[in-house]
Amino acid sequence: MKDHPVIDVHGHWGPWFFAMDIGDVRENLRVLDEWRIDLQIVSASEAVTYDAPGGNAKLARLLEDQPRLRGYVVCNPNDLTACEADLRRYLATDSFVGVKIHTSYPRRAISAPQMRDLFALLNDFDAVILIHTWGGDVLDLPRLLDANPRLRVIAAHMGADRWDLAAEAAKDCDRLYLEPSCSITDAGQVAHVAARVPEGQLLFGTDATLIDPAVSFGLVEDARLAPATAEAMYWRNAAELFGLQDAVRAS
Amino acid sequence: MRADPIDIDCDVLCGSWPPRAELDFSWPAVRARLDAAGIENALACSGRGAWFDDADGNAETLALDNAIPVGTVNLRNALRATAVLDDLQAAGVRAVRIFGPLQGCEPHFPGYRHVVDGILGRGMVPLVEGDLRHCWQPFADRGARVVFLDVHAYHLADFILLARREPGFVASTRLLNAPDSIETVVGEVGASHLAFGSRTPLHDTSPSVLRMRHARLSDVDWTAVTGGTIRSLLEKT
Repeated sequence: MKDHPVIDVHGHWGPWFFAMDIGDVRENLRVLDEWRIDLQIVSASEAVTYDAPGGNAKLARLLEDQPRLRGYVVCNPNDLTACEADLRRYLATDSFVGVKIHTSYPRRAISAPQMRDLFALLNDFDAVILIHTWGGDVLDLPRLLDANPRLRVIAAHMGADRWDLAAEAAKDCDRLYLEPSCSITDAGQVAHVAARVPEGQLLFGTDATLIDPAVSFGLVEDARLAPATAEAMYWRNAAELFGLQDAVRAS
Repeated sequence: MRADPIDIDCDVLCGSWPPRAELDFSWPAVRARLDAAGIENALACSGRGAWFDDADGNAETLALDNAIPVGTVNLRNALRATAVLDDLQAAGVRAVRIFGPLQGCEPHFPGYRHVVDGILGRGMVPLVEGDLRHCWQPFADRGARVVFLDVHAYHLADFILLARREPGFVASTRLLNAPDSIETVVGEVGASHLAFGSRTPLHDTSPSVLRMRHARLSDVDWTAVTGGTIRSLLEKT
């Protein structure tokens, strides 16, 4: 077990449509305790997969009495009006610290014009974005960051089966961060990324409670990172990116 | 977290792997990874049989020290499968790995069916790569004992539905990575339907090992999943 804090920047709350019994927040707290994760930033599964405003509202109520959780406002690129309303409603609170965007459920690739417009909107909010990446689409992020200088973006799953491209995208773009959560456990992927991407851009995410934290902890463990790099990845970079230093100290 | 040794890993490779040529697939390196993870025994086979030549690959596999050998059969040239399987059986090999996706062979292809018939007809245990939802059919309704190496947490319902009627269907744990997948399989159909697998060295070893060591199972069930189930399958060959 780690002798330092852990911040999970890629979490979920709520049920999924698979054969798994994970919808209750008690499951979040169970895995946080089991893996000694101090803080977890979550999006509502309902907001990700179906109803962004409805799921965001349910998460807002949940977060009122969950001090170890923070929220992502889920934005559906197909409904910018609802996005803007939710951003104004939630991002000013202490409970929500960033924005989550998926690409598969709204069926909009990172290169889509709807995503371009959403990123422009989010630039006005100085948002920190966690966006689903899978394969070569991670290479589309530097262009969006160039166009929106106030944004900082986390490539979720660090490209999944194209973690090599994620490393290429992040090494020259200091506002692009990578986190390793993924059920694909290709050998050496975290070590490959850590050898090429500045240490300050590495984050730790699990995709829990959809995926057990064992997967991401195992990926990082097998990378044999230097202790300082591991600490940066496990919590220091996230604390700075999301302004969670006080919350870590309090946890 | 449990610290007991894991008796058997059902999913281990060695030799060489063209898309990951930078990885050390040598058997000593693989064995060292398993040792470091507390894995005592492995069902292992050489990548040569998957990529290039089954007979030569099987010869490499049979030469491994401290491994439970797993044969391979070339699905793309099933004309010689009978001879290859006869040789494997004569050498005492009890499990054969089927690389369907890698070799571009779907479960409904004639060659695939022919190889499956040959393996099952000899009482050997097939270790099957590929999406369970496609590759289960050649093994169904014939009392087959088979390990599906790529059952994903997202497909858990499909596996459990199959396992309820197929006592010999076993899933590897590697992709059963939701927080309750392993526990759900054991609770629904029993530990005789699960076997620990890591796909070392193509995949990192620790994700599978950590999940297994944190699984919320009784001692009896944990022992079964980490070796007992596989031993039982192999002893019946």
